[in-house]
Amino acid sequence: MKKILLLTFIFFLFFSSCSQQKRRELRISTNSWIGYAPLFYAKEKGYLEAADIKLITNVSLAEAADIYSVGKADMVTTTQHEYYMLKNSNPNIIPIILLDRSKGGDVVLSNRSIKELQNAKQIHAYLEIDSINAEVLEDFLKHYNIDPQKLKYINKDQAQIQDLKPQKDKNILIATYIPYNIFLEKKGFHELSSTKNTDAIIVIDSLCTSQKKVNKYKKRLHELKKIIDRSIREINSNKQQSYELTKNYLGNISYGEFVDSLQLIEWINHPSKTLLKRIKPMGYDEKFLIK
Amino acid sequence: MLSTFGGGGFIFYKFFNDSKNITENLLKENIQANLLNIKYFLDKNLKQDNVNQLKAYLDNIVHSNTVLSDIHIIDNTNKLLYATDRDTMPQHKNITCRPISEIVTSNIFEQECYTFSIKLFNGLKPYYYTATVYLDKKYLDSLLKDKIIKYAGLFVGYFVVFLILLWFIVKKFLITPLEELRQFAYYSNRVPMQFLIQEIESIRYSLDLTFKRLKKEQEELFNLSTKDPLSGLYNRLSLIEKINWLISKGERSHAKFALLFLDLDNFKNINDSRGHEFGDKVLQHIAKVLLRSVRNNDIVSRIGGDEFVIILPDIIDNEAILEVIQRIQNSLSTPVVFDNYKYLITCSIGVAIYPKDGKDVTELLKNADIAMYKSKELGKNNFHFFTESLNNEIQEKINIQRLMINALEEGHFKLFYQPKVDIASNKIVGCEALIRLIDPLHGLIPPDKFIYIAEENNFIIPLGNWIIKEATQQLKLWENTSMQNIKLAINISGVQFKNKNLFKTIENSIKNIDPSKLEIELTESVLMSDFDEKLKIIHQLKTLGISLSLDDFGTGYSSLSYLKQIPFDTLKIDKSFIDDLESKKEQAFVNMIVTIADELGLEVVAEGVENREQLEYLKQMKCEQYQGYYCSKPLPIEEFEKLFKEHPCP
Repeated sequence: MKKILLLTFIFFLFFSSCSQQKRRELRISTNSWIGYAPLFYAKEKGYLEAADIKLITNVSLAEAADIYSVGKADMVTTTQHEYYMLKNSNPNIIPIILLDRSKGGDVVLSNRSIKELQNAKQIHAYLEIDSINAEVLEDFLKHYNIDPQKLKYINKDQAQIQDLKPQKDKNILIATYIPYNIFLEKKGFHELSSTKNTDAIIVIDSLCTSQKKVNKYKKRLHELKKIIDRSIREINSNKQQSYELTKNYLGNISYGEFVDSLQLIEWINHPSKTLLKRIKPMGYDEKFLIK
Repeated sequence: MLSTFGGGGFIFYKFFNDSKNITENLLKENIQANLLNIKYFLDKNLKQDNVNQLKAYLDNIVHSNTVLSDIHIIDNTNKLLYATDRDTMPQHKNITCRPISEIVTSNIFEQECYTFSIKLFNGLKPYYYTATVYLDKKYLDSLLKDKIIKYAGLFVGYFVVFLILLWFIVKKFLITPLEELRQFAYYSNRVPMQFLIQEIESIRYSLDLTFKRLKKEQEELFNLSTKDPLSGLYNRLSLIEKINWLISKGERSHAKFALLFLDLDNFKNINDSRGHEFGDKVLQHIAKVLLRSVRNNDIVSRIGGDEFVIILPDIIDNEAILEVIQRIQNSLSTPVVFDNYKYLITCSIGVAIYPKDGKDVTELLKNADIAMYKSKELGKNNFHFFTESLNNEIQEKINIQRLMINALEEGHFKLFYQPKVDIASNKIVGCEALIRLIDPLHGLIPPDKFIYIAEENNFIIPLGNWIIKEATQQLKLWENTSMQNIKLAINISGVQFKNKNLFKTIENSIKNIDPSKLEIELTESVLMSDFDEKLKIIHQLKTLGISLSLDDFGTGYSSLSYLKQIPFDTLKIDKSFIDDLESKKEQAFVNMIVTIADELGLEVVAEGVENREQLEYLKQMKCEQYQGYYCSKPLPIEEFEKLFKEHPCP
């Protein structure tokens, strides 16, 4: 009898060891944006690793979206622009966690004044065309009554845009966002407009994934939501520490720039009813959101 | 075996599936990476009119990549702008392409084509080209086929190795031990080494214990069946077996062997006086003495009671036999002390030699026994070799024994009557009844031929009883006839005296007759042993009114103390005195006996009177009666009665 029990135990151990699998790693495709600082912070603090979640950092949102679209990532951080774009190719994508709302984080820079631009015959516009930059720039042109026909659009990613220098003989208009604007402003570009001073355009950063994955990893996504909430709390309570942990993801900006940047976004991980009501027509339905 | 195969198949399928999954994931990642790179490249570099500038790069991507086989770029008017494989476009017909977002969910080994959009901008207004990436189906197939072949081969290979290993393990730890156990159980000659499997080891251990116990019991049984439990010597059965073996050997090699039949002298006395337990100790002592006295290859056995048989194989001459006998007798000559009693044990030995004295066991044992009896006859503590004359003597004895037994049953014994004549009146006054054996085949057999044999084997007791019965019946018949005063004498042997029923037999027999007409004749030899016991019986007989006669007086010790203590009525002078009665010396002896008898008030009968001269001498000596051929030889009853009536004695 003892032998039978022992054999059964060994048999059980053998098969249980075969069947026990490590928890599958979930991947988040993202890019350098102050609004995604909670993710960088959580990674550096080890919260993500503990939850078996990996962060894939890209230069631009478009590339982050590409990574997601080919299945190399389970979740992706998007503005509504990437959200719509991805939804076109895969209608299952839904926003599950709201991160931040840009309140000055998206900016339009130039080496000219608005008046000079209004009078210019040709303007070289640098932007990541297939991104929220385009919408911000369109809104800017519309707002300041600048003829789009004068613009020559040059599609660059943020890393390329970051390397631009002001040229005396060239009217340059740049649509970018934090932290790239900081480097450009240091080179002599100045801010003409941002999401801070317009309500016409609302830029929402959220974490998106497919409904299928929500069903499959519901528990883990709840865990992730808690991590993000915690990280936002800790960033707000200890900016110095969060700066130290996240500066490498944000182009090595200074602490002051980091603190300033944080002023240009609004955390919406606990969105107000008003906001929810406003963004619902944009496809950000409350029912998708993980509480 | 089926379950093992199934189990093995399952494990290999699982390994194959895991490996397939890993390959699938790697392939997916590879395809994902390639498509991402191509997409990124096209997103960044493709413009409305620069496809030709990108051709070289796209060609290079496809040619340097084993997974990819072709890339198509189609503009927003469905015009093919670029194809890596410019000649094989028709081959891509009937192939369904899936968006790159479905790489994860697609069957990576089956899906041959993926497609994605390339967003171009006219100002900020997007328009789309389509890129279609074809995969190398042969390469994809080979990945799976290779795995199937590899794992199928591995499975078969491992299964074969597993079977061999299993066979080896089963053989080493199960079959071989079981075979060894089978052989052990069948032959039980070699104990297998300890086994690894506990259950088999338990069986081996139990078998070993059982066989050891069986062997011990077998030995005990063998000893019981072949050895005498008391002495530890071979028993009769075993002896016969060994003699038969020696005979078989002797028939081939003409080897001789001697058989010594040894019987202890007077062992019965030891048993009777000291009990059987003591007798057993003596026998055990004798067994040790015999074993010490013989050679290593000699065979010593006890075949019953105090009888031992020693076989001396491969003897060359009688000297070797004599040496052994000498050693035995020397060893036994030392008195042995048991329970503070000192005993001198002697033995009689008969020797028979194969093949001279017998060709088989029975004959050899019989002849050695004959020789032993002869040795006892010669005075005990002696030995005797078997001879043919000894054999004849014994055969005759055995023949007579047989005749006697039959004769008593069939009425071949007869009483002959020899008259006793009163010398003064010359009248027959009595007679001595003498036993005769008249065998229908051999005729008259004289008593000296069978009486001693009857005494040796105690046949004398039933025979004596028959004589008493016959004699008293005869006396009864004579009652109220002219022979009613005849006194009839019968002889009683010493052996009969040892029979406790003697007195009772005589007492019953004389109930219906005049006891004074019956006379019992005793020889001195009868009185030689256990005198007091016999005297007691004699006195009892006297109380019955029977007469007593001392037979053959003068031949033995002629102890006067007998005459003093025993109430004899008659003395019978032995024939040997009468035969030489012419000599003065004999006359003096006879005269002296007659005088003593006269003084003691005893009647005197002279035996063996054969002529007139002898009678005259006796008459002068005042001897009262005579008996002998002068008057008549012993006669059958009819003739005796006729003689009495006719009174023919001179």
